[in-house]
Amino acid sequence: MAAEFTEYEYVAAGTVDVSQLEPLDRETARIMKDEMSTGSKLTIFYYAFIFMIPILNWHASGFMFSRMWGGMTYTWFITGIVAMGMAFTIAYVHTSLYEKRLHKYQGGTGASSAHSEGRNIG
Amino acid sequence: MLQTLLEPKMLLTIILMSTIVYITYLTKKSSTASDYFVGGRSFGWFTNGSAIGGDYLSAATFLGIAGLTFQLGYDGAYYAFCFSIGLTLLAIFVAGPLRRFGAYTVADFLAYRFHSKRARLAAVAVVLAISGFYAAPQLLGAAQILSMFFGTTYEFGIIFTCTVMVFYVGVGGMKGTTINQALELWIRLGAFVLMAAAAVYGGLHYDRILASINEFQGSITGTAQFAKDGKDVAFDGASWTGTGHYFPTFWQTISMTIGLSLGTIGLPHILLRFYTNPSAKAARKSALMAIGIASVFFFFAVYLGAVGRAVFLSGSASPEVMKDLVAGGNNMVIPSTAQALGGEWLLGLVIAGAFAAIFSNLSGLFIASSGALAHDLYATFMRKNITERERVIAGKVAIVILAFLYGALGLMVKTASIGHLVALAFTVAASTFTPIFILGIWWRGMTEKGAIAGLVIGLAVSMFMIFGSSMLPAFLQFKVPGLITVPVGFLSVYIVSKLDRKVPADVNEFMRRVHSKESEAA
Repeated sequence: MAAEFTEYEYVAAGTVDVSQLEPLDRETARIMKDEMSTGSKLTIFYYAFIFMIPILNWHASGFMFSRMWGGMTYTWFITGIVAMGMAFTIAYVHTSLYEKRLHKYQGGTGASSAHSEGRNIG
Repeated sequence: MLQTLLEPKMLLTIILMSTIVYITYLTKKSSTASDYFVGGRSFGWFTNGSAIGGDYLSAATFLGIAGLTFQLGYDGAYYAFCFSIGLTLLAIFVAGPLRRFGAYTVADFLAYRFHSKRARLAAVAVVLAISGFYAAPQLLGAAQILSMFFGTTYEFGIIFTCTVMVFYVGVGGMKGTTINQALELWIRLGAFVLMAAAAVYGGLHYDRILASINEFQGSITGTAQFAKDGKDVAFDGASWTGTGHYFPTFWQTISMTIGLSLGTIGLPHILLRFYTNPSAKAARKSALMAIGIASVFFFFAVYLGAVGRAVFLSGSASPEVMKDLVAGGNNMVIPSTAQALGGEWLLGLVIAGAFAAIFSNLSGLFIASSGALAHDLYATFMRKNITERERVIAGKVAIVILAFLYGALGLMVKTASIGHLVALAFTVAASTFTPIFILGIWWRGMTEKGAIAGLVIGLAVSMFMIFGSSMLPAFLQFKVPGLITVPVGFLSVYIVSKLDRKVPADVNEFMRRVHSKESEAA
């Protein structure tokens, strides 16, 4: 087991100039593009929501701090209730889309893709 | 003596401690480094999701967030929201690839990405800096609880908690720590749910309490005897429900939002948890579960902070609770409110929950830091060809060293706010590891020099902005300086990498590894 560390540790892979780097294989490039595209869209949406709260608080405070339900203001409702659910919703959509893509990849190549352990040094 | 032991707060704390000891004993056999550092990569999404939640929802959440809401009102609620953002971003960009990479420590990522010892060394320094920032407020919370409810001194509290940690992590390793963390999470959630139920049962509905707080103006009678200045505490409800009091400008608010939202991606003890999953798919599900739990938790923390303020303003609490709320500072709102809502038994459960929060989070930090010391520093730089057994022993010795180190830090932050100290730890993480992990996973052009520059410059700038901000012009003095430090971290990596241009020759292989597709059965 310990030998796996020595085996992997600081293998002299060398360096190359970034301009001479071979392009990524098509499959990895496609997976990365799909994941980044989904992640970026969800993150942009999430940050639009996140930054919307202080922007409205500072620039439309009359509305945001007016009462909506009992003593609860619009901004308290968005910050203390909606925002907490939003974190889970974004993560849930991401996980669902990831599993959908995974299913698509499996469909394309059969069951040949093995369970990836990555750089398994343990 | 027997009567003291049968007091609810004492009894429930003893039950919690006994459970920890029992689980630790059951899982004490860590024969391999994989067992000790990553729990043999055997935990499924439910256990690991609970443990991530347990690790993430520290004393800062259980005690600090409600305390900040109690004290700051809306600004405290917004603070809580910003803490809740990070896990989602981590799930989107880092969790799956990190697990596919599969290693023992956070520094392993850099070391193997660049085949570099220098990168590993820089990562170790940053892991220790972040963990120190994070551990100190957890110890502060533990010592305050012990001193407030068990009458011990602050110093005893620090020593006691560090001693428990040496046993907890040193004996149980990652296996015992994970199971304990998962169990402890549900104790805390149970305490919050019961507190909320008691509040609603007592008529403290969200809309009503916010209305009553908002309308309160003037001084709170009966508080003079506990206040330092001998005067009744003055309170302005309209100010409490507004914004701009803690973060006085719009840009201060944005700076805090950036620092906290990106900080989670760089927290070593959270990143480490994704190595313990059996697959990348399980890692994503673990993250999703942790986010669900955290969302519920943050909602309750904000609500209970408002309940605490309503109880305080009504003056209906016992003199003992009023004293705690005036003299105990904002960190003790949850225990005091629990006592007011449900008496000794609810207080006992909350104290057990607070210990659970502190132990969970501290154990994660101890594991991450012991990995940095034993695996990354000792086994890499001091004793090569170390055996599995020696590696585990080094991990245990590192726990003892860390107990002294973090204990000293805990003694230095006696009067600080738990929530704010943790916010600073998030900022350091957001300015150092966050750029490294996001760019390292998604950009082939990141070079070794770029990564090291990012870590060193990000750490130096964030430390300067935190400790030396008085030397800066007023417009650059931020309470949470994420607006400056996070872009500096990202730009350092990007600019130095662009100038360096020397990427590892096997970077394509690395990308294939961390972005490979995986079996659905995994």
